[in-house]
Amino acid sequence: MSVTQKEIKTLARLSRLEFSDGEIEKFAPEFEEIIEFANKINEQVEGDTGSIREVVSRTVKWEDLREDEVKESLPNEKITSNVQAEGGYFPVRRVVK
Amino acid sequence: MKSVISILSSKLRSGEITSAQLTEQYIKEIEKHNPTLNAYVHLTFDEARANAAAADKLIKEGKATALTGIPFTLKDNIATDGLPTTCCSKILQGLKPYYDATVWSKLKAQGAVLLGKTNMDEFAMGSTSESSYFGAPLNPVDTTKVTGGSSGGVAAAVCANIAAYGLGSDTGGSIRQPASFCGIVGFKPTYGAVSRYGLIAYGSSLDQIGPMTQSVTDAAIVYDAIRGEDKADGTSVPTPDGKTVLNGDVKGLKIGIAEEYFDGVPSDIKSAIDGMVAAYERAGAQVVKVSIPALKLALPVYYIIACAEASSNLGRYDGIRYGFRATGYTSVDDMITKTRTEGFGKEVKKRIMLGTYVLSSGYFDAYYKKACLIRKAVESQMAEAFEKCDVLFAPTAPNTAFPLGYSGGNAVQTYLSDVCTVPVNIAGLPAISIPCGTDKGGMPIGVQIIGKKFDDSRVLDVAYFAEISGLSETADFKGGVRV
Repeated sequence: MSVTQKEIKTLARLSRLEFSDGEIEKFAPEFEEIIEFANKINEQVEGDTGSIREVVSRTVKWEDLREDEVKESLPNEKITSNVQAEGGYFPVRRVVK
Repeated sequence: MKSVISILSSKLRSGEITSAQLTEQYIKEIEKHNPTLNAYVHLTFDEARANAAAADKLIKEGKATALTGIPFTLKDNIATDGLPTTCCSKILQGLKPYYDATVWSKLKAQGAVLLGKTNMDEFAMGSTSESSYFGAPLNPVDTTKVTGGSSGGVAAAVCANIAAYGLGSDTGGSIRQPASFCGIVGFKPTYGAVSRYGLIAYGSSLDQIGPMTQSVTDAAIVYDAIRGEDKADGTSVPTPDGKTVLNGDVKGLKIGIAEEYFDGVPSDIKSAIDGMVAAYERAGAQVVKVSIPALKLALPVYYIIACAEASSNLGRYDGIRYGFRATGYTSVDDMITKTRTEGFGKEVKKRIMLGTYVLSSGYFDAYYKKACLIRKAVESQMAEAFEKCDVLFAPTAPNTAFPLGYSGGNAVQTYLSDVCTVPVNIAGLPAISIPCGTDKGGMPIGVQIIGKKFDDSRVLDVAYFAEISGLSETADFKGGVRV
């Protein structure tokens, strides 16, 4: 399977990344090589891989979810300590005209 | 191997040395060796001195534990309140988190001394630590070689005795493989046994924090200090009360050997492991052949799942709330795109793109969903293998440390180096890498001992036999703090 330059541009837009045309030209074969590598999952192996229908999420133990309680938040000045905050807010360019 | 932690701890408790003095020794050695090794990327000597003063107070009050007053390091992806935590990425330059990772809170409470944050592949994505924004750390055994990765800085610091121990993180082998390359011990606990709160996420269903040490005894001490359920990490689980007991009794132990782990592994690595297994057999262990066919698919499955999770986890880096922000943008969307484009390195971008690809409509079923199914198969086939044996022995990596720059051009070639380590992450199992001789060029080889889920203490105990029988020796670096 080959990945078109157009597809790469779409993926880049979805990922909020930018590649120049020159970079895409270099990136395309590398990306294709990785996709080819990922395609190895279609190789057949012995044993039961096809009949497992249930994909159980390993990251959430639904029965163990805690109550949604409001707790004390971190202070505003700590949260904004990593940027040049303006009046306790994160400054960004105006979004509403 | 010697337990650096036990030796230092008894010196501290007997009053032979204070933590303040010991800390100054480490600082001196870091200043001497770090300019060459590039193991540390952020030095936290003020913090270390304050920690040492607190530790000396604990010791005086008779409240010392095994880790009180002992200087160590954290990988640069573990959050430290008010101290730099940058994942060795440009996009997080300047970031000082406003909370501590649970592992650091636990160690700090015991009087541990934080010397600094150590080098790693950007966002832990790599197997050589060369994708670090700060340049690669060098392997203390041979400085023309890589440390492995992604926890390469911790491995270099521990190997060079410029940290008594360190904490790394392991998503697909990032603790075990650099431990193997640098001739030290690296332990990846069962998924959930150690809280991930404050560990900057790469692949959340795979990531696990664990100790990198000079001995198995040290690994057990550190593991005991950091493990256990944490309300702040919903995937963490309770672990048994009490200390991990190490007996090193392997009589009747069933060692599983899966030939799939040895496919394409060079003869010197294979024979080193055979030699280790034979010594266990002489002590009364029994070898059982097992088969895990799905292991063949573990590597592509790992890259699909890890990158999918990464593309989502790294979505939060937008330049708005912390870290690097690009200039010269025309809109908020443009700012985010420019920040990410300038802030992320090449390998990280590649993995975000792959993750976005396998999650996008039209490809989701063919890649992500299928990978999740095979993951279950790997998990169940490994569980089946453990019905016939107690532990599996395998190489940690199909190679020893590469020369610097060797893997530069070819991503897939480097990915192959993770083939022996990723199955453990996919199945959430505990595994340790301990030194197992050297190759023809004198570079350390690692053997991996893999256990059942939550059988962490057995994994450590089986490895402990190698320590007390003199079967496993850590690399000897002529420098650093001599213990």
